[in-house]
Amino acid sequence: MIVQGRAISNGKAKGEVIKLNEPLSFLGGVDGSTGDLRVRDGNVAGKILVFPRGKGSTVGSYVMYDLMVHGKEPAAVINESAETIVATGAVISSIPMVDMVPSVNMFEDGDIVTVDANAGTVEIEGIVFKEVVSSVVSRNGKCILEKRHDNSRSFPGHWSLVAGKIEDGETPVEAAHREILEETSIEVGEPLGQMDPIYCREGNTLFKVHPFHFDAGDKEPVINDENDGYVWASVEDAESMKTVTDTVLVMRHFLG
Amino acid sequence: MDLTREEESILNGEQGEGKQKAMELVTALGKIYGADSLIDITSAHLSGASYKTIGDGGLKYLEDLVGGGARVSVPSTLNPVGMDRTRWREMHIPESFAEKQLRIIDLYGQMGIDQVCSCTPYVGPNVPSMGDHVAWAESSALSFVNSYIGARTNREGGPGALAAAILGKTANYGLHLDEKRRPTVVIDADIDGSVFSYSLLGQAVGMAIGNGVPYFRNISPEVEEAKALSAAMAASGSIALYHVEGVTPEAGNFDVSELEVIHIGKKELENAYAKLNKTDDVQLIAIGCPHLTEKEMHQIAAFLKDKEKRNKDIEVWFCTSTAIREKCAEDVKIMERFGPVLADTCMVVAPIEGVFERTATNSAKAGNYLPTLCSQKAMCRDITALMELVL
Repeated sequence: MIVQGRAISNGKAKGEVIKLNEPLSFLGGVDGSTGDLRVRDGNVAGKILVFPRGKGSTVGSYVMYDLMVHGKEPAAVINESAETIVATGAVISSIPMVDMVPSVNMFEDGDIVTVDANAGTVEIEGIVFKEVVSSVVSRNGKCILEKRHDNSRSFPGHWSLVAGKIEDGETPVEAAHREILEETSIEVGEPLGQMDPIYCREGNTLFKVHPFHFDAGDKEPVINDENDGYVWASVEDAESMKTVTDTVLVMRHFLG
Repeated sequence: MDLTREEESILNGEQGEGKQKAMELVTALGKIYGADSLIDITSAHLSGASYKTIGDGGLKYLEDLVGGGARVSVPSTLNPVGMDRTRWREMHIPESFAEKQLRIIDLYGQMGIDQVCSCTPYVGPNVPSMGDHVAWAESSALSFVNSYIGARTNREGGPGALAAAILGKTANYGLHLDEKRRPTVVIDADIDGSVFSYSLLGQAVGMAIGNGVPYFRNISPEVEEAKALSAAMAASGSIALYHVEGVTPEAGNFDVSELEVIHIGKKELENAYAKLNKTDDVQLIAIGCPHLTEKEMHQIAAFLKDKEKRNKDIEVWFCTSTAIREKCAEDVKIMERFGPVLADTCMVVAPIEGVFERTATNSAKAGNYLPTLCSQKAMCRDITALMELVL
């Protein structure tokens, strides 16, 4: 699939992803002569280096130049938002760079990615894209978590918010209403809240998730055969359960 | 971004690779910060001059630029370097460092950049005028020219300012635009008016608001006080512009009646002082961040004239520019009885870590950076209180 970002430093590159989940200071974070990362295992040389954004000392730009001098520079850099230090380092070191990709969570280590930093695009090979909704349906600080079947195609045996795929022609909120009705028999009203979409990966599947928050009202859910059962869970409860990626993050956002 | 035909041709490499790289950098930064066009600048001031701060990567970058024939096209000055060019042995600088530092200065010189290396170019070789668009790095100096002079610059990084100097242009966003120069908060200040009280005021304001454009009431800074205030706010926060009622040139342009008012007085200055003072016992007293002005040199010499240094265990450094050291030869003679008057360097960009562990300064800016950039425990007091330590 192709992701449209924004070109920051021109050039094209193809390579394997190495990803950081936290902002990176090149000064202290990367060895300028070897390319070894100091914030996790791995080496940036020849890789597509993906991280949210730069931080730290402005000397970081020169560390990127140092990498280039030693032939250990990343093949390309992908950020969520470019700032001065990394953008400067990428331009002076002729490292292709794209920013404004929606989330670093779209990527996983080992993905094969083609960066076209002239057009500002990033192509991830062999990825299936699914757009889904995921709803916190709550009452008294707890929400419904459903137990997925052990033979479910995605996240088997995990606990999940009330979630499902957005059908053709549906808006996200329409899909949320439909999924909640199908899976719990509860007819909810307008959402109490919604979050910006989040991205998560399961193998080669990339999910774009639209999280919503609804009031469950006073009816008890009646679940259909898509799940094995349900519980009312607080954020603390969910923290110790085997949940689908980012379930706790979404619950914490809406339930505090 | 709208580029002129001339700018497009530079970006397409029709005027050589050096200018093309510079244009790529200026336009990339412009894109990030939402600039719609480029504007001509009248001067630049560059950071990234000390070998300690830029390292081998920075040195190689400068070598490659010079190898490609890069030259600045507007008057440009350079920040302090990691040592005094002739007296580096007195600063305990290793020979290997000195060699690379001299090479860096030479490379900047080959690009046409003024060889005076100071963080206060606005008192000497590089004085912008009201309304000038400039591209300055060095947070204290750019805040001074934005605020006290009314020139216009963003907080440029070293390579970005150099690229702008090569092109004579920078991206038009942020503090180049009228609307971004509006005050965001009123500071009702209650201080004693000494230079040191301006340092603490700046420290306290940076701690209180972090960033934004403060509008001060009840202060009347002259050059030395504005220098201390600018430096402190740029280090404890990221403030690049402020206004002072009745003093700075743009202050009268704004209606501040609707803005939040923050009072900074005795309690806030005490908190600022506590933040900057983490030791009572020091090995080095370093004065001159930002660089001492002529007036400050006279004042220090007058204070020390009939005194004698009794405590030989504490080293004393005075930091200023070559130009001011030459101008103040008589003052220098008196001051040198206490310690070297070093030119074009300072305690923050010199590699003092490894030589000293506890350093005193009169500067809130140095007080912020000595712990992080130099691994020092810091003390921060006014100049006379510091000199009392060795009398």
